[in-house]
Amino acid sequence: MAANYKTDPILTVDGLKQYFRINSRFTVKAVENVSFRIYPGETYGLVGESGSGKSTIGRSVIRLYDPTAGTIRFNGMDISGKVSRSDNKALRTQMQMIFQDPMASLNPRKKVEDILGEGLDIHHMYRNSAERRQKIESILAKVGLAPEHASRYPHQFSGGQRQRVGIARALIMNPKLIIADECISALDVSIQAQVVNLMKDIQEETGAAYLFIAHDLSMVKYISDRIGVLHLGHLLETGTTGEIFENPIHPYTRSLLSAIPSPNPVVEKNRVAESYDYRTSGLDYAKGTEHLVSGTHYVKCTDEEFERFTER
Amino acid sequence: MSENKEKILDITDLDISFRTTAGDVHAIRGVDINLFRGETVAIVGESGSGKSVTMKAAMGILASNATVNSGTIRFSYHHEDGTPESVDILQKDKKWIRRHINGKRIAMVFQDPMTSLNPTMQIGKQIMEGMIWHFKTPKQEAWNRAVQLLKEVGIEDAEKRMKNYPHQLSGGMRQRVVIAIALSCNPDLLICDEPTTALDVTIQAKIIELIRKVQKERGISVIYITHDLGVVAKVADYVNVMYAGKIVEKGNINEIFYDPRHPYTWGLLSAMPDLDTDDERLYTIPGSPPNLLHEKDGDAFAPRNRYALEIDDKLDPPMFQITETHSAATWLLDPRAPKVEMPEELRNRIERMKREANEHGSEL
Repeated sequence: MAANYKTDPILTVDGLKQYFRINSRFTVKAVENVSFRIYPGETYGLVGESGSGKSTIGRSVIRLYDPTAGTIRFNGMDISGKVSRSDNKALRTQMQMIFQDPMASLNPRKKVEDILGEGLDIHHMYRNSAERRQKIESILAKVGLAPEHASRYPHQFSGGQRQRVGIARALIMNPKLIIADECISALDVSIQAQVVNLMKDIQEETGAAYLFIAHDLSMVKYISDRIGVLHLGHLLETGTTGEIFENPIHPYTRSLLSAIPSPNPVVEKNRVAESYDYRTSGLDYAKGTEHLVSGTHYVKCTDEEFERFTER
Repeated sequence: MSENKEKILDITDLDISFRTTAGDVHAIRGVDINLFRGETVAIVGESGSGKSVTMKAAMGILASNATVNSGTIRFSYHHEDGTPESVDILQKDKKWIRRHINGKRIAMVFQDPMTSLNPTMQIGKQIMEGMIWHFKTPKQEAWNRAVQLLKEVGIEDAEKRMKNYPHQLSGGMRQRVVIAIALSCNPDLLICDEPTTALDVTIQAKIIELIRKVQKERGISVIYITHDLGVVAKVADYVNVMYAGKIVEKGNINEIFYDPRHPYTWGLLSAMPDLDTDDERLYTIPGSPPNLLHEKDGDAFAPRNRYALEIDDKLDPPMFQITETHSAATWLLDPRAPKVEMPEELRNRIERMKREANEHGSEL
């Protein structure tokens, strides 16, 4: 199933701010006025360097943090403030997260069947133990593991298999949105490709939307339909993958793209990455407003900056 | 440079196993690596392929449960008065290596700058430490050199930064400090063990630029251990591809990237999407890296190799020489083997890469 842009977005984030108060004089402004939407069946990639707030956005969306300001709407329902008990219950089945380090995110003292079955138990999603077992086995098969893996512990798996268990845990509740927070960066190159292929297959089959958070731009380009570029908590540029990679407007995006190493020795040895330093660039992200470049391609800057960027 | 190349490091037939409670792990199974002065060699492989263990052996810092079954690691250097000297590091004891090699002639940059720096010590002190210990440099002189090194690795306000602790610096700055420490004793050989894996792309590009610049200025040799082929393409002159404790393909950079012969190298090259990949699916290497606890007959890569021949399960392939510098360990290169072409996607990509390279003015 390809992304469906005609229906309402599954997730709408509007003016999200996430501040962390350290003490009376110091507040970390992790996310500043970020707005984006994700449509059913779509993959939205969030990229940026460490500390740019990409994981914070993921965690705000899944309600691990209380947003300081702004609204998050999921499936037409406002989830940024207090949510009723029944809505909360629905949310916890419809949004799932895959974490970066599969070893740290799986309980080492539980068997895989209990890790996968925990959600089913809580939400009473089976009639008898045979149905529970059958559900677990079918999800294991979907992520490419064998039924006998159900009775093993996480430490008995290799890194790639563990991440498959993490994906299976997210999938078993049949979510509409999966937040994948750096879910392939801890894996080996050959395993990364396997997991990415698996995620694509699953999207095709179930029509789930992904919020794909990563810093590896070549992987993000490969998996995402649309991309948002974050820096210092500001969403600087957003658009379809083609728009961002073929026509990057913001100097930060340009520097980010120029820094991607290419596996072509002759080209790579002659390439000079564009450098970008916020302090010396003279830009002020806080003053920026959204400017439409073309289609769905937006860039955040002031009017005068926009003219300068687009001149080139 | 090519006429009188001076060999710095010569590893031959290295074989190492680790004693563990679960049994012997045969981590390195006959590795040969040569390195000449001023050149860069990259060792590529997945985690557990033995790339770090090989380099730790060269530094004499293997874990205590390691046994070296065979092999030599010959390291050549000059004494202060200019007389050449060549030693087998495996024959020397730890104390001698610490005194004469570690930090002084071979320096290492590790993956995570936060764990390789001492959190309770000012960075200036950490840079001076090696000079004072190895050369008995007077404190004032060491301080001045440390400030200079910080400037050389691109840290602004070097004098002020000398008094900083590691936690006051960002990740990229910390890695710069680690490089400054590595350079403090003027080593002949710099070993970089995944120097940029913990860093962002933009900072990664800067750190790699820095290592290249330093290498050019000082004429030192560098060994890169990495799994990122983009980084390899940028820095390396020669590439060794390692799998399960063996070098499966070696060659100069153009041979490995434009004319790979081993199926594992094919897999590595095509598993990494470059920016022009628009195939629906990524080519993957099926399965996962082998557990070296359970040794099997024949080629360790055979179970994951879709081009495996029958003989792969019985006999480990030798290195087949392709050109003077290029060789690969796969039975596919045997004259009796059936002719196998690399996967279509990869061939298309290499064609594209060659075209791009030609646009940059080099003929391939």
